[in-house]
Amino acid sequence: MKGKREILRFSRNWRIQHFLLILSVVLLILSGVALKFYNSWFGKLMIFLEGGFEARGALHRFSAVLLIITAIYHIIYIIFTKEGRREFKALLFKKNDFSDYLNLLLYNLGKKETKPQIGRYGFREKLQYWVFFIFVFLMIATGAVMWWHNYFFVVLPKWVFDLIYGIHGWGGTLILIFIVFWHLYEIHLTPSNFPINMSFWDGYVSEEWLKEEHPLEYEELKKEGK
Amino acid sequence: MKKIVVFTLLFLNLYSQDIVSKNKRCFLCHGKEDYKIIENGKVKSLYVSSAEYYQSVHKDMLCTNCHYDVSTIPHLRKPKKIHCLQCHYAGNVVGAPVKEMPEKYKESVHGRAKEKGKKAPDCIDCHTTHYIRYHSDTLSTIHKRNIPLTCGKCHMKIVEDYSSSIHGEALKKGILETAVCSDCHQEHDILPPEDPRSTLNPKNVIHTCERCHADVTIMKKYGVPVKQVEAFKESFHGVALEYGVVRAANCVSCHGFHDILPSSDPRSPIHPKNLAKTCGKCHPGASENVAKGKYHIIAEEKEAGIVYYVYNFFKWFTLLVILGLVIHIILDLTGRAMKKVKKKAE
Repeated sequence: MKGKREILRFSRNWRIQHFLLILSVVLLILSGVALKFYNSWFGKLMIFLEGGFEARGALHRFSAVLLIITAIYHIIYIIFTKEGRREFKALLFKKNDFSDYLNLLLYNLGKKETKPQIGRYGFREKLQYWVFFIFVFLMIATGAVMWWHNYFFVVLPKWVFDLIYGIHGWGGTLILIFIVFWHLYEIHLTPSNFPINMSFWDGYVSEEWLKEEHPLEYEELKKEGK
Repeated sequence: MKKIVVFTLLFLNLYSQDIVSKNKRCFLCHGKEDYKIIENGKVKSLYVSSAEYYQSVHKDMLCTNCHYDVSTIPHLRKPKKIHCLQCHYAGNVVGAPVKEMPEKYKESVHGRAKEKGKKAPDCIDCHTTHYIRYHSDTLSTIHKRNIPLTCGKCHMKIVEDYSSSIHGEALKKGILETAVCSDCHQEHDILPPEDPRSTLNPKNVIHTCERCHADVTIMKKYGVPVKQVEAFKESFHGVALEYGVVRAANCVSCHGFHDILPSSDPRSPIHPKNLAKTCGKCHPGASENVAKGKYHIIAEEKEAGIVYYVYNFFKWFTLLVILGLVIHIILDLTGRAMKKVKKKAE
């Protein structure tokens, strides 16, 4: 990131939530992938490193609890804090989001004259947030059914369990690809941020970067006189 | 050449004649069906059928080859108890075949019980004393068809269960590809299920069943589904077992063992009506819901029903996401690179 990072873009609360999310999701993926690919060398290595088959399950459940706590914390945050409500509103999709995203790609490629003005969160960030939002909900719901299968046997037929088993496994794979790889590229590996965008840790970005990547947010901050 | 053949045949004939005539002296008494004594208050038959003896593997042996302490007729003392290991030991000079069986037997439940002085079968209890035949001989006690009868001499209740099972029914029809006692329990090296080397140790059960149930030629012949084993191995129970979690269900946990029956049979533990009870052995909440669905499904196959469609949806969706990611990265990177070049030019 070019320039001195002195604009606080993410509050401490936001960063804590993000950190909890990284921790729980990384642990969940490591212990989940170990089971999904139990037959490959990678799965065998992961199960070994996680202390055996049953310890792997315990780790998965432990990190699941962490994720559930994070999710509840986030819901409380976006409902009951002023900051949370503002962030949530900024994350809602708007009419021009997708066309702005396409136009920016086209502008960069030299096919469009004017540069679309992106705000605090563009289409790319919003898509990341909402896909994650839906998938975390899906994974918690399907995971809970499998965790307490003995209770759910009473109400759910066998084929639903097969379905849930499949959805949970594939959901995890999708999260790994969509959220982790895609997210890593967008935030850290993309040329303007390469190799790492430290704002996830301390919350600070540079003026130059903000002006280039999120011009509308920059304008707004200026208006507010910060 | 011809002379040699004739001579050999004549010699063999004379030799066997010799055996028959020598043994005849024993059969003089022991060949009578009602020849018996009273020993310890019990009637003990001393009869040996000469007809059956001369069909056995030992037909070219003299009675006194084994009962070596009998030299006069009538013998005045009770001959010593003899044992097969008299000849069947490694390195014997009389040419008695020895495989690793006696060693395996010593390790087995029967051998160890015998060693402790308990009542347990020795060689002769399964192979018989005077009428030993090859296992390929249909009249042999160890011919596949007769094995349940042989084991059932002691394990009476189990053989009763077995004979009404699908394996037992098949055997009655003369289908020799079916499983008899020794196919699952082994022959000489029968080990208790707690022993990790046992074919019936929870970790090994799947490998024991799979010897036949994953064999396409056998299963196809009798219309038995063959993918069950593969599907089980991929299931949560199967994976847990592979990693040594033996409290996970293996084949016999649900299917039963000696009295194994197909799911269509109302007596079977896997009959839809009995499934709730069967699953309930481990999963206390199991209700009739567990019968609503298919078992041993492979997601990649159409028989899996809804799971197959979900599998395919996710497969293509995941590929689409990867494609999207690659396209996005390419467009983003080229765009940014082009912009940089343009800026430099300005």
